[in-house]
Formats: sequence, C-alpha cells, structure tokens
Amino acid sequence: MADETHEKDVAFIKAMAELLRDNDLTELHVKREYGESDWLNVRVARQLPSAPMMMQPPMASAPAAPATTAAPAPAPEASGDPSQAPGAVTSPMVGTIYLQAEPGTPAFVSVGDKVKEGQTLLIIEAMKTMNQIPAPRDGTVKRILVEDAAPVEFGAPLMIIE
Amino acid sequence: MFRKILIANRGEIALRVIRAAREMGVETVAVHSTADTDAMHVRMADESVCIGPPPGTDSYLSMASILSACEITGAEAIHPGYGFLSENANFVQAVEDHGIKFIGPSAEHIRMMGDKITAKETAKRLGIPCVPGSEGGVADVETARAIGEEFGYPVIVKATAGGGGRGMKLARSAADIDTAFRAARTEAKAAFGNDEVYIEKYLGKPRHIEVQVFGDGKGRAVHLGERDCSLQRRHQKVFEEAPGPSISPETRTEIGMICANAVAALGYEGAGTIEFLYENGEFYFIEMNTRLQVEHPVTEAVFGVDLVREQIRVAAGLPMSFQQDDLRVNGHAIEVRINAEKLPNFSPCPGRISQYHAPGGLGVRMDSALYDGYRIPPYYDSLIAKLIVHGRDRPEALARLHRALGELIVDGIDTTLPLFAKLLQAEAVTSGDYTIHWLEGWLAETYGV
Repeated sequence: MADETHEKDVAFIKAMAELLRDNDLTELHVKREYGESDWLNVRVARQLPSAPMMMQPPMASAPAAPATTAAPAPAPEASGDPSQAPGAVTSPMVGTIYLQAEPGTPAFVSVGDKVKEGQTLLIIEAMKTMNQIPAPRDGTVKRILVEDAAPVEFGAPLMIIE
Repeated sequence: MFRKILIANRGEIALRVIRAAREMGVETVAVHSTADTDAMHVRMADESVCIGPPPGTDSYLSMASILSACEITGAEAIHPGYGFLSENANFVQAVEDHGIKFIGPSAEHIRMMGDKITAKETAKRLGIPCVPGSEGGVADVETARAIGEEFGYPVIVKATAGGGGRGMKLARSAADIDTAFRAARTEAKAAFGNDEVYIEKYLGKPRHIEVQVFGDGKGRAVHLGERDCSLQRRHQKVFEEAPGPSISPETRTEIGMICANAVAALGYEGAGTIEFLYENGEFYFIEMNTRLQVEHPVTEAVFGVDLVREQIRVAAGLPMSFQQDDLRVNGHAIEVRINAEKLPNFSPCPGRISQYHAPGGLGVRMDSALYDGYRIPPYYDSLIAKLIVHGRDRPEALARLHRALGELIVDGIDTTLPLFAKLLQAEAVTSGDYTIHWLEGWLAETYGV
C-alpha cells in the first residue's frame, strides 16, 4: 500500500486546492506527520482575482512519496498565517470500510454534509467487529477518499472534514 | 502449499522469511509500523499493510492489527519470525480461531515451554538432563535455604516467568540466600508480574550449547546438531558457531537424539531449540525456544538446509525434506551479530546509514535489512545485520570471517562491527576454548568497561 500513498497525496492536494477556491482563501498550509520518515508538508496558494473570470487555482508541487516535503507555491501578498488544515481524517486501524450501517441503508455522510464532532462518518470492520469512526471535529464533509468495502491500513486518509 | 502468507515481523528476519517464500512461489504480505514504511522488508514483499504507529505494542505486537491485515489481504498463514508474538500462546490461539495457520508449534507447546518451571518438568519427563534444583517453585525463604544446603552453593534464584537472561539472582553461599531469594521475587514481580521463583545449582564455567530440533507435527522429529553460543554480553549472544568446538560427534548424536526423541514424543511442529549449559561433559537443560532463532543460519550452512522453507512446508502439511540419516555435519560456520550500538558502552545508535556495502565471495552470507540511506528507527531492537561464514573447518571459517569483516562497510552510525576484528585476535576465540563468562571478562579488559 506504500505505492498508493502518492495517489492519496495527490487526491489530498486536489482537495486542498478545492477548499482554497470554494472558500475564497489565498493560502492553505498543511503539515502532517504520519511517522518517523513519513510526513506531508504542502502549501497551496493563489492570487485573489480582481475579476471573477480570471480565477486560476495554482497547485503546490506534490511531495515526493512518501518521505520528503513539497516546495511552497509562489506566495501571494494576502492572508497571513498558514493554517494547519484540520482536513484529513485518517484510519486508526487496519480493516474494511463500510460507508453505511448496513447494505441497502443510506451512507452515514455524503459530500457537502455538515457533521458534528463525534458523529459517525463510516465503519471500519476489523476481525468481525464493526468500529464506528467519529468525526474529530464539527465541519463539512469535503471529500470522501475511500470506497465502500475498500481495505484500509493504519493512517490511510478517509475523508476531508473542514 | 499456501498461496499467500503474512510475516508478522520486521527487519532481517522478515526479509529471511520473504526470501524463502518467494523461492517457493508463495506470495508475501509485509506488515509495518509507520516508522518502517521505507524498510527493506516492506519493499521486498508482494504487498504491505501499515498496521500502526511506531511503538511495538501498537504495531508488531498488536494481534488485532495483524489479524486484520490477514483479513484484508487474504493471507492464509502467518510466520511470526522471532521475538514479538512468536512465542505468544494467546496469539497462536487467536490466529487459529480465525482460521489462519500459524507457522510454528501449537499454543499448547508454546505455553508448556514458556513457563520455565513447566518446561523443566516436561524436559525431565522426556528424559532431558536438567540442572539440579528445586522441584517447582520455591515459596519461602526456609525452603530456599534447604535447597541451597542440599545442592551446595553457589545457587541461582530464577523467575519462572522470566527468560532471555532476566530475573536471576546469584547466591554464592548460605550467607547470600535470603537476600537473593527476596530480591529475585521482588524483581520478578516488577518485571514479569509474577513473583514465582525456582532455584538451580549455579554452574561456574559452563558453555551455552543449544540443539536445533525440527518436528513435522505428526510425531516425527530430527535434530540438526548443536550451536555454541557461549560468547554473550548480558545474556545477549554476540557470536555463534556450529558445530560446537567442544562437542565430539558421539556427544552430538547422544544429546541430539535425546532432544529429537523428546520433541517427537510431544508431536511438536516446526523449528525449536533446546538450550543447555554444558560443563564437565554434562548437559543441563535451561530452556526451550519454540521458534526459529536468530542464529539459525549457522545450522543451515553446516547441514545444507533451509529451515524457514521447512517451517512453511510442515505448516502446509508437507513432510520435512530430510530424515535424520540425511543430516550430516559439513564444515564449520560462524555468525557474528552486528548491532547499531556504540562501543565501548553498547549504547543504542539509531540514525541514517550513509554507506552500506556487504561482503561477498565463497562461503559468505549477509542477512540484513540495511541499504544505503536507510534510516534505522529508534523504536526497535538494535540488531541490524548478521554476517555468517562457512568453511571446510573451523580455521578456514575464522579466516573467512576475518576476510569478510574487512569488506563489510556500515557507515553513518556507530556499530559493534569493530568488536569482531579484535575478538578474532583473542586466543580463546581462535582456540575455541571459552565459556559463557569469557566475553564479559574480555570486554572489561579490552575496553576498560
């Protein structure tokens, strides 16, 4: 699964770029440590457009998988402090994802839903036990990064909640 | 044969198992903590699953994570390596309960040999010679004194739940027994959660001789000779060799057959090692390890076998590739263990390997998960490499070891590598005339620690 890390990183950065755009931000900086030699450090930034038509979301360069850091994008003049994006919710265990309580029932959450801290986002089944994975904070589901019945390892990004 | 197995370990032993499985066409799943994402065993396996954060308890010791990893990858069997969960009877039970095959002995046999008192009783019952001592646990200091009287001092008080050289207190004379007894119990309680102790006669100048056994789980077992692992520092082996320099072919056959028959009588499955102290021509059972040992390569070299392959075979229900008559000693092999530790204090030294170059040539084997640029994490065991040499006789093996050590490069961190060139100059090592206390004495002299 180490080879899927790059794809997940790219998905994550794309999600960040969307966040930037959708919320009219100029800069977003995420630093995430997954392990001793495994960390993600990405900054996405853009110029605020003077006319709405000229929107152009630049992307920061992707980090080399999985060990090294990204180069920051050309820095805009606007908004100061890079925020630690609380975005990604990662898997606390090895198991299989279920996006709904039971087959045939609706998914726990969909993209765009507002969730409260502690609200069940999905289930991870590990050894015949169903573990409900709670939202770590209030927010909106921006991305769902896993499919129903997908296997996940420890640390795999599951959703972006902002 | 299994289609896919999961290796519940890391480092050089995980690589070892992956190599054997690959040769057999068996797919491999590596598990790793986040600290080991770039480890060699992860890169070499066909698939990998991250099972947790760096600490062992949350990753390599996490039964739930490992079993889950089996589930999501469809692995049919687990090879536990050595250390970690390899001798955890509860883990074996859990694995079997999930319909996965544990590559190794049964939970019952692991439990039997994990408790040192039960192990000794079992050994006695099976005709394996033991160190004279208490029958079972010693509950009070009066009994301890009586035992000291009966067997004669010095005696050693040992924790039943101990092992790996921990939880032992020496009483040199009757004057020491009370303190030794009480101290041993207190330490045992603190270290193992169980204050039960037993007492054995202390042997002054023994060698550590261990016998490799292997069973097919169906009542057949063989021995693969002995290894002399007397060169130890704080009960950690540093240098091992096969055959034992002090063991004659007749002695080998005698003790070997006792061990093989004992293990066959148990219906034992897989690899095991029966460890003895050997003094004045007598063997004294200390413990049995119900797993593959670190130093198994010297036995492989001398008998021309692949023990990991055999473990996987018998676990899959196949017979062993050999019978006792096929197993003949050929030449001599020596292994040295290289740790990421700084001499002379052996303080742990994790960090980045700036250059790694393995020795090669005839009769040289390097078992290691190192590579250029690899960062040794600080969370695990400090063993980073094993250098094994084989020669037609002991002098050739020693010369080969000296030559191979000259080629081996491990730069960027401090290691115990420099120790071995010095060790090879010691008369006791070249003659093979050493006991379990010798190395620490030599270290004190040589390094002044």
